[in-house]
Amino acid sequence: MSDILRLPVEQVYQSELDALKADDTGNKPYNWAMSPQAVVTYLMGGKTASGVDISAKYIGHRRIIETAVATLATDRALLLLGVPGTAKSWVSEHLSAAICGCSTQVIQCTAGTDENQIRYGWNYAQLLAHGPSKEALVATPLLRAMENGSLCRLEELTRMGSDVQDTLITVLSEKMLPVPELNDAIFAQRGFNIIATANNRDKGVNELSSALKRRFNVVVLPLPDSVDQEVEIINKRVAEMGQSLDLPVPKNTADEIAKVVAIFRELRGGETLDGKLTLKTPTGNLSTAEAIAVMVGGLSQANWFSQGQLTAAEISQSMLGAIVKDPVQDRAVLEEYLETVLKKRKGYEDYYHHLNQVL
Amino acid sequence: MAHSDIHYFGIRHHGPGSSKRLLAALEQLQPQYILIEGPADCSDLLPLLAHQQMKPPVALLSYAVEHAQSSIFYPFAEYSPEYQASVWAKQQQIPSAFIDLPIAVRLAQMQAEQLHSEDEEHTNAEQLTPNNNQSDGKSDDQSNNQENTPQLTALLRDPIGVLANIAGYQDAEAWWNDLIEQNRDDSLAIFEQVEHAMTALRQPVAQDSPELAHDHQREAFMRLEIAKIAKLCDGPIAVICGAWHVPALKAKHSAKDDRALIKALPKKLAASKHKSTWIPWTSARLATQTGYGAGVAAPMWYQHLWQHRQQDDHIAPWLVFIAQNLREQGAVISTASVIEAQRLCLSLAAVRDRPQPSFEEITDAVISCMCFGEHALWEQIHNTVLLGHQVGQIPDDTDLVPLLEDLQKRQKKYKLKPEALAREHSLDLRSDIGQNKSILLHQLQLLNVPWGELLDSGSSRGTFREKWRLTWQPEFAIKLVEHIVYGSTIEQAANNKVMASLAKEQNLAVLADSVLNCLTANLSQATEFGLTQLTLRAGQVSDCNDLLTSIAPLIDISRYGSARTLSLSQIDALIERLAIQAALALPYACRNLNDEEAQHVQQNINSAHRALVLHLGDTDILAKWWQAIEAIAHSDQSSYLLIGLCARLLYQNERLSREQLSTMLDKMLSPALPPAQAARFFDGFFTDSVDQLLYDSLLLNAINNWLLQLEETTFVEFLPLFRRVFSNLDAMERKRLFDTLFNNKAHAEIVQNIDTNQHTYWQQHMEKLAKLAQRNKDWLA
Repeated sequence: MSDILRLPVEQVYQSELDALKADDTGNKPYNWAMSPQAVVTYLMGGKTASGVDISAKYIGHRRIIETAVATLATDRALLLLGVPGTAKSWVSEHLSAAICGCSTQVIQCTAGTDENQIRYGWNYAQLLAHGPSKEALVATPLLRAMENGSLCRLEELTRMGSDVQDTLITVLSEKMLPVPELNDAIFAQRGFNIIATANNRDKGVNELSSALKRRFNVVVLPLPDSVDQEVEIINKRVAEMGQSLDLPVPKNTADEIAKVVAIFRELRGGETLDGKLTLKTPTGNLSTAEAIAVMVGGLSQANWFSQGQLTAAEISQSMLGAIVKDPVQDRAVLEEYLETVLKKRKGYEDYYHHLNQVL
Repeated sequence: MAHSDIHYFGIRHHGPGSSKRLLAALEQLQPQYILIEGPADCSDLLPLLAHQQMKPPVALLSYAVEHAQSSIFYPFAEYSPEYQASVWAKQQQIPSAFIDLPIAVRLAQMQAEQLHSEDEEHTNAEQLTPNNNQSDGKSDDQSNNQENTPQLTALLRDPIGVLANIAGYQDAEAWWNDLIEQNRDDSLAIFEQVEHAMTALRQPVAQDSPELAHDHQREAFMRLEIAKIAKLCDGPIAVICGAWHVPALKAKHSAKDDRALIKALPKKLAASKHKSTWIPWTSARLATQTGYGAGVAAPMWYQHLWQHRQQDDHIAPWLVFIAQNLREQGAVISTASVIEAQRLCLSLAAVRDRPQPSFEEITDAVISCMCFGEHALWEQIHNTVLLGHQVGQIPDDTDLVPLLEDLQKRQKKYKLKPEALAREHSLDLRSDIGQNKSILLHQLQLLNVPWGELLDSGSSRGTFREKWRLTWQPEFAIKLVEHIVYGSTIEQAANNKVMASLAKEQNLAVLADSVLNCLTANLSQATEFGLTQLTLRAGQVSDCNDLLTSIAPLIDISRYGSARTLSLSQIDALIERLAIQAALALPYACRNLNDEEAQHVQQNINSAHRALVLHLGDTDILAKWWQAIEAIAHSDQSSYLLIGLCARLLYQNERLSREQLSTMLDKMLSPALPPAQAARFFDGFFTDSVDQLLYDSLLLNAINNWLLQLEETTFVEFLPLFRRVFSNLDAMERKRLFDTLFNNKAHAEIVQNIDTNQHTYWQQHMEKLAKLAQRNKDWLA
């Protein structure tokens, strides 16, 4: 096992990618590593023609992934939209791994991101020594992707300022990046495209200008439809993460996951799963990703401090952290939920007890 | 003699792809006779379908004359293969006929089932009726059998849809398109392939399953009909039926067995007991969403497919259509977005390995490119775009249901077009046309056909303007048909229907209201009958509340009637009689009431009083009424709430002097009386007239004293009452009240001192004005 905490996905799933490429007979868009159909199979799971199992990377509607891949197969940029924790970045990572074999050309957009981090920077030593020249340019991931005709990922696009966002307009519509200092322009090679992710729930984000929005095909990733689907996602991710973190996964994990998912879904949806009782919702959004984090936290606690026993006691602590984001409001919400729902529910006595204890 | 040249075309009901292929196949085959799955005894109506003025969507409506609620519809859209086939037959001038079970049998079956279910569950009978109404005649109406396995039901309803689902398609039409457009070979062969598929689908279904029994009978009947016609005709025959039936129709069965099967059917209804005709249908009703069985998910999309069947690119016009709809909703959709949506459709189809983009791809692309990923935006236009608002048209000379005929005649005469989209109409009742329109709409409302919705009902009565919102629903035609028992014109039916319900009505107030409705709907027959009924019932009614509540609507009638040029001599007599009766009964009706009843009476007295004072003027009858009011006010036995009310009515009309009132107030509000009683009196007196306190120091002082002497607990107990009563004052009035009470300001404000010194000036001033009025030029001098 490598010493790297989390390998890029193209390395983790290299064998699957290779198997898909080996059997891929479909037409490939220019500079793509595999055909669009194979990309969809890679994301959704399935079998290659020669019978190699491909694990599902995204569990949900196939149509969503198909739309995403179809978008990238044109020269339109893809914007993945959704509340936090709906696998936006995960999907974008896997899409770029499958399409151009590289998921690491990424720009993390923040409020502090400026144009130089999007377009190009200057190597000031060069600039002072030789004046402006192509050699003095410091390429950004975007510029590099344009030059080698591959995908560039923009994480959390709406977090950076609107003025900086709009730098992308020319790149997206004219597929070139002007360098006015050199009276030159960098033209994108075929195969270049952008996958951006953005979150439509957070406060303090910068809305996309309509000029920019128009240049994206938008795909909204929803929260999982059904309990089973969500449990499946979490099971899979927890097992994978347990493996990469060297945490043993006890047998009862699946049961506990089901309970955590039930609690999360009820609080998130504002009503009990049987639809009989309306509940208050906490301020956090209790996404699938958070449920995964809760479970991994629980596993870690169980492994290091509880002799490998995973019970409500281990999970409750991290669960509290996930639910109570606002110390006053959310605490009241949780208390009410515990007293009105969990107290009477069979099989959840432990959760009632331990959550009450840590609250 | 066996006829071998019979060709079976298994189609998908409402499938534009089917239609296109069918037409091609018919061209190729040039049959001499066309047989269509549809009720055999309606064959003579079939040529009408191809009539020039017939504009689908239309439906063949069949109903039992005596039980108009048992009815069956066979809807046809422009893209229905059956419709296209009949148009083709007309163009080629070859005969066509329906071959399915006659409507007479189907209706008999339906009635038998209804009887059966009514026996089983009397209470549920009502609910079953609409179920029968909805049942689809063309496909396989098994809806009455609740124990269907869902799979089998789906199979019976839309077998091609099931095949498409197996192939991973959501939209059966897309599957059919891909399957058929890919194989651009001759059309006849395609129908063979479809038949093979159906045979395979039918195989696993047990032949004796109860769901199929009905199908077996139908298929047996169709086989016999086909054989019968085959004998008459030499050339090739085309049989057009649901794909599901093809294998069964082709299978060898002896005529004897088939006849045996049919024997089990209920006896036909006599020809005079059922009727069939064409009615207009709407595109929205073709959709599954409205509960109609073999419907289509997106009628407008199918329509589009049909209209653009000859063009290679039908996607761009559809996307533009959607974009226009989105723009109408206020979304900014650039042409560039439409182009991008088109491109995404194409690449999506490629990713999904489909030969061309279908409905699903287009929807996905529209959401992604034109709605910015927001489903909500799509859902806003989804209904307009997919269901549409088309209403069909039928030829003018169609044999109409008499009521519908009448309606159409009047619609044409008054220039009111039935439209599915809501539209507002403002009618001027002073003009003939406006009044006629209003009368028609009112009459339809009485027949349970709310084509028009009166927008400002109540307030408009008696004025000359009415505002209506018109939305035509195809169900209205059905409802009209149900009312055929009442008469053959709308006016007659409405008259008879209202009269039937009036005859049963005991409640005076309801009677009076109905009569008022009859008046607005210009139903003179029913109005007169209603008035007679009212007179009859009035004698029998002893309940004072009934009398009181009927007075106000009757007075409305009297006033309204005179504006409507209707002779209503007897109505005034009736009002007088009722008023006298009420006045006599009233004092007794006000005794021994609990709070709730008292409030009820309070309302009734209020409304009746207002109407009577307005209507009667100064007559003996009004004097009787006042006597009754006085009797209530001065009787200890009356409810205190009503005493309060009557005291106020008297005081306001100066029938009670200040001294008398002062004594009364002292008495009613004295500490010896339980506070609850006093509070009731207060309630009755001041509800709706608390502003009296502002300018009447007598009342104010009395109330003030009473309130001050109340104990705190009692005061708190009645706080809600006081709050309610005083909340009728607005902020300014309340301020004035407080000022009067606490600062004694109000008197200073109200008192006016007349300055006699100014008197002469006024005199001069008036003289000048008089000059001016006489146009005297030097008036200022």
